[in-house]
Amino acid sequence: MSSTNLDQAGAASTPAANPARTNSSPVTRSAGGPTSTGSSTPPSRSSAVRRWWARGGLSAVVLAVPAIVIFGYFSWGPIIRGVVMAWQRTKLDQPTTWVGWSNFSYVFTLPELPQAAINTVYFMGLALLIGFPVPLVLAVVISSLRTKRWLYNILSYLPVVLPPVVAILLWKVFYDPGSTGLFNTVLGWFGLGPFAWLNSPDLAMPSLVLESTWAAAGSTVIIYLAAMASVPKELYEAAELDGAGIWRKIWTVTLPQIRGIILIVLLLQIIGTAQVFAEPFLFTGGGPANRTITLLMLIYNYAFVYNDLGAASAISAMLAVALAIISGLYFLATRRWSR
Amino acid sequence: MRKRLVTRSIVLCAVLALGAAACGSSSATANSGTSASAASSTQAPDGSGTPAGSGTPSNSGTPSSASSAANTTPVTITVSNKPPASSPGDLKAFEQRIKDFQAANPNVTVNGSEIAWDPQTFAAQLAGGQLPTVVTVPFTEPQSMIQNKQISDITADLKTIGLYDQLNPAALSVTQDKAGEVYGIPIGGYALGLVYNRALFTKAGLDPDKPPTTWDEVRAAAKTISQKTGAAGYAQMTQNNTGGWMYGATVYSRGGTLESSDGSKAAFDDQSGKDALDALTQMRWTDNSMGTTFLYDMTSISKDFAADKIGMFIGAPVNYILAVVQDGMKPASFGLGTMPQGSTAGGSMSGGAVQVISPKATADQRLAGVKWIAFSLESSLDQAKAVAAAKLTASQGLPVGLPGVSTLKATNDQEYLGWVKSYINVPLTNFATYSATVNSIKLTPEPSNKAQEVYAKLDALVQKILTDKSADVATELSNTSSAVNSLLGR
Repeated sequence: MSSTNLDQAGAASTPAANPARTNSSPVTRSAGGPTSTGSSTPPSRSSAVRRWWARGGLSAVVLAVPAIVIFGYFSWGPIIRGVVMAWQRTKLDQPTTWVGWSNFSYVFTLPELPQAAINTVYFMGLALLIGFPVPLVLAVVISSLRTKRWLYNILSYLPVVLPPVVAILLWKVFYDPGSTGLFNTVLGWFGLGPFAWLNSPDLAMPSLVLESTWAAAGSTVIIYLAAMASVPKELYEAAELDGAGIWRKIWTVTLPQIRGIILIVLLLQIIGTAQVFAEPFLFTGGGPANRTITLLMLIYNYAFVYNDLGAASAISAMLAVALAIISGLYFLATRRWSR
Repeated sequence: MRKRLVTRSIVLCAVLALGAAACGSSSATANSGTSASAASSTQAPDGSGTPAGSGTPSNSGTPSSASSAANTTPVTITVSNKPPASSPGDLKAFEQRIKDFQAANPNVTVNGSEIAWDPQTFAAQLAGGQLPTVVTVPFTEPQSMIQNKQISDITADLKTIGLYDQLNPAALSVTQDKAGEVYGIPIGGYALGLVYNRALFTKAGLDPDKPPTTWDEVRAAAKTISQKTGAAGYAQMTQNNTGGWMYGATVYSRGGTLESSDGSKAAFDDQSGKDALDALTQMRWTDNSMGTTFLYDMTSISKDFAADKIGMFIGAPVNYILAVVQDGMKPASFGLGTMPQGSTAGGSMSGGAVQVISPKATADQRLAGVKWIAFSLESSLDQAKAVAAAKLTASQGLPVGLPGVSTLKATNDQEYLGWVKSYINVPLTNFATYSATVNSIKLTPEPSNKAQEVYAKLDALVQKILTDKSADVATELSNTSSAVNSLLGR
């Protein structure tokens, strides 16, 4: 349940803010009918229904039903079930029992939990530090190029085409800790290393971030480039007339114009990196000495290696709540800026 | 996880081996053939290579024939570990075995299922009624399954078909409850030992026919190898729960254990547990004889070993298949010695595969399932079948003749080896010190309670010792011990 649910939970938090606002009008409209008419006369209610019918309300419902059923069964259902399981002891072959908060109190005794939380935040921080600016800089550079832009587009997107598992296993070879490893050989030319990379408690996490930045930058670059293409040309022309140089144009025209996209990408990145799994799972198995174990790996281990679905659900639920809170705070904090 | 893969493949191999006929006598041999193919197809072979069934008494022929006559009620059973279509050779052998069995037991219909034991899905399959009647599981599982009533008591059925008295009591204890009732049939087993690279031994000036037999000798040899050849003298698996597995093996070999006998408490925070870590500290930080990689699992350690980057590590006969068949090592370079012992000799950790019957099986299905297991054991005692299996195995370039632990009470190992002598393609002398002790050394199974979770905690412990020079053995040991205690107390 874990990862999918979290994806959903994380993603759900985004729209969650809007529905509250946008929904308000339909809600008041439809609710307004019955409540106001409730005290007065029945006919007006039936006329409301008739109006609804006449406007094709039924066909809308019919059209929506398959999607609602499928989403409900395969997506929302498991999410709810996953949350409920956090208060249950689930042993698939035995009747499920309610256990109150004991799953939560148990996971709080796990020394791995704070470790995994710290590691995850550390990964998010490093990814923010390294992984956030890199695609932005790349996009700015590519968009400023006059020729062969397509070539750099392709080059920057190429890592995304590689299946993540392949890319990670490839980098694992690059990270060979011996002095004959690829990176160590290259760094050796400059008199650096050899580094232990994944085998070093201190270097392991930065190594993971490096790879994931390389792997993920491409798609973000494409998004930025698309956003930059939509910046009105007049603004640049006006800036040029005012004597702005290239950096000035980027700083005062491009970036402010695409700040909405930047904010969304940043939020997606925060949510995505909070759920990092494949890199530590394949690179280090969480090692050395749990220095790269992440929350999602912990959830995976409890759910699928130890068959402790209750503990896994408890951690998942808390992660989902934490992500929802972060998303909410983020929206509050950036609301003014993003408009 | 790797460990799970390993155990799963053990099981798979063992089952195939078994079925295929092997298990016969030195079953190791026979089996290994077939198991090997299984192993290579799954890419993570394991212990099964070793399964050894060893000799079933030759009179075992009786069981199935006697039993088949008795019952005529039509019954259908499902058996696990049917080879996938991607391994046509194995699949054909499996289907042939079903045909032969059905010919001998006309009232029984056998359906193969590709389901193989997997801790992630076992409980769900059981609950959903999808669990095959006969399932092959690793040595570590039956005890908790017995407690959870997840497998059937087959004592009466074993007695009915006459197999009960032919099983090796030591191996059988893995599947017995406290009252001595039997819940499964061990079909293959292995003991851990010291895998070593004979080419590196020679290069370092060590005698490849005299591998170290104590941990002190291991340390000395590791130092020599790393100094003379630049390779890691000794390496140890640390990742994906193999770290705990291997740490357990080293603790056992020093007379210690991981869990108290009832599985309720951690038992490694003692002298043997400390010695095991101290030895690692010395090799890693004092002698610098463990190379640069400290995140190894079964697959990755085999690759580096086959590439002459590692002198020694703890492994099992199955590592021959991994290193030679899969990773292209020269057979002559592969050596397997007996498990190195500490100042208190503790023997070796063992593992293997057990076939159990689903608790949802009816009485008829249960009996048919037990007969199916017995049939496979029996077929390995038939000279013609044993030779045919060995021939097939050898023709596929897979090893015939790997040594291992006997799981059946019996003495016809020699008889079996005589039958397949011309097909043995494993350099038996490279296993000499292992073979000499494997059936006499004290064997201890892996911890019975939450082994994988305990291993995960120990992974971190061993990794810490190997990657953090300032780590204090006593502190880390006591922290891990209390973490394991709270885990076992859940």
